[in-house]
Amino acid sequence: MELYSPEGLRIDGRRWNELRRFECKINTHPHSADGSSYVEQGNTKIICMVRGPMEPAMKSQVNATSSTVEVNVSLANFSTFERKKRSKTDKRITELKTTLERTFNECIMGHLYPRTLISVTVQVLAQDGGLLAAMTNAVTLALIDAGIAMYDYVSGVNAGLYDQTSALLDLNTLEENDMCSLTIGVIGKSEKLALVVLEDKLPLDRLESVLAIAIAGSHRIRELMDMEVRKHGNMRLAKVSV
Amino acid sequence: MTLLSPAERSYLRDSLTASPIIRPDSRTPHQFRPIEAKTSFLSSSNGSARVRLIDGSECIVSVKAKVVDLASVSNLVEVDIDVDSFRDDSNFVTNLKFHILNSLANFPSTVLKLTTKYGYKLFIDVIVTSHSSYPLTLISLATYLALKTARLPKLVSEVNDEEIAEQPTFADDWAESTLIQDLLDAPFQPPVLITLGIIGNNIIFDPSIEEEQIIDNSLVIGFYNGRVITPINTISLSSISNGVNSIVLVKALELGNKYGGMVVKALDTLIEQDIDDENIF
Repeated sequence: MELYSPEGLRIDGRRWNELRRFECKINTHPHSADGSSYVEQGNTKIICMVRGPMEPAMKSQVNATSSTVEVNVSLANFSTFERKKRSKTDKRITELKTTLERTFNECIMGHLYPRTLISVTVQVLAQDGGLLAAMTNAVTLALIDAGIAMYDYVSGVNAGLYDQTSALLDLNTLEENDMCSLTIGVIGKSEKLALVVLEDKLPLDRLESVLAIAIAGSHRIRELMDMEVRKHGNMRLAKVSV
Repeated sequence: MTLLSPAERSYLRDSLTASPIIRPDSRTPHQFRPIEAKTSFLSSSNGSARVRLIDGSECIVSVKAKVVDLASVSNLVEVDIDVDSFRDDSNFVTNLKFHILNSLANFPSTVLKLTTKYGYKLFIDVIVTSHSSYPLTLISLATYLALKTARLPKLVSEVNDEEIAEQPTFADDWAESTLIQDLLDAPFQPPVLITLGIIGNNIIFDPSIEEEQIIDNSLVIGFYNGRVITPINTISLSSISNGVNSIVLVKALELGNKYGGMVVKALDTLIEQDIDDENIF
């Protein structure tokens, strides 16, 4: 299978610097959570719910100076093409959970919510590459919906290196399985990274080009998320002013 | 979990044992809470459905079919339930799974047989993202919708493979896929499980979390082919658990026979009116 043709087209017809279809919604679960969101990045589909800031159930989760972020990740059995039952203590799931917890502990203004717990539930319904990136976007949106103070958006995307030469943006499963890739989370419009995950080898001299395209892609995703948040905000405002 | 104060419990009990029954959300005794549902939004599953109740309880069901060697599997339908904040081996989840699997015992598994050697195995995966009252009815309704809208690809290879061994092959065109109903001669209606709350001699359908706290006992009845089917189970949803007397049981069956059809009809109307746009919300 040819992942990147000499004409510069990828298997799904995109060019090297093009994102997949990105769709998001916020406040999808107004009755069951304080903040919620739904993100579709290509065929990856994720629901995220935030509860809190609330009093922690366990004393161990109390931090006198800051809030504690707890993330629960659950991958549905049917989320992959081939159905697979996963245990809740799967190593990969634990790693995703810790990565998200660390990232958002830094990005939330925790000092405003001392002694509280912010509980985030991420439910993956379908996965087709860019799992961590889509999760990051979903959590950001749900936290915004919950009204939790953050420094800025954290927008995530993955990017890979094809044939040691060309950087490709927003990989799907097929591409992800076949090339080295990294996932980043960018803070707002800046070039500061809140999250970088690289699970395989990437030549150091190519890293810059991959990061550059990933940052550009994240900025675009931030714009799309911002549009949705503003659209929803205006809708809520219109309802209040009537 | 205690939600109500003694005074509230007493008030609620009095109004639910009164005649006519007064329910806290002003429903009639046989009325369900309003549901919102959506089907066929997962492109990687054969069938999918999402059902949400007014209190925010939500359930997502996916139906996936896989071709298996019939000799190697014992049952062609498998159910797996995942409830947020409950362990997979907890009593709560095991009971839900038992009820759902039990209700599907009369699933027409002949439609799943492709050839003499191969057949489909259906994997029904349920995710309850949040719930307040006992989620069995919610799961059952979502399973009904997912099974009703599940599409199976069209078989293009030979059906008879007794003499020549052949792997089943399917049409590439998804437009040629069929609903389970089209494979059957009769209409396909998976059973629906209805939770009934018993309080004194009164019966209420689909008890809410507040009602669950004070009802004497609950019955789970299955509705299939226009009438109530066995098994009929009692479940205790609160700390109170009184026996069920035979008069109430007969009354429950009557009510089930009378109103079960409406539930199924409402779900069928929902499928008809659903816009096929692959959006989940």
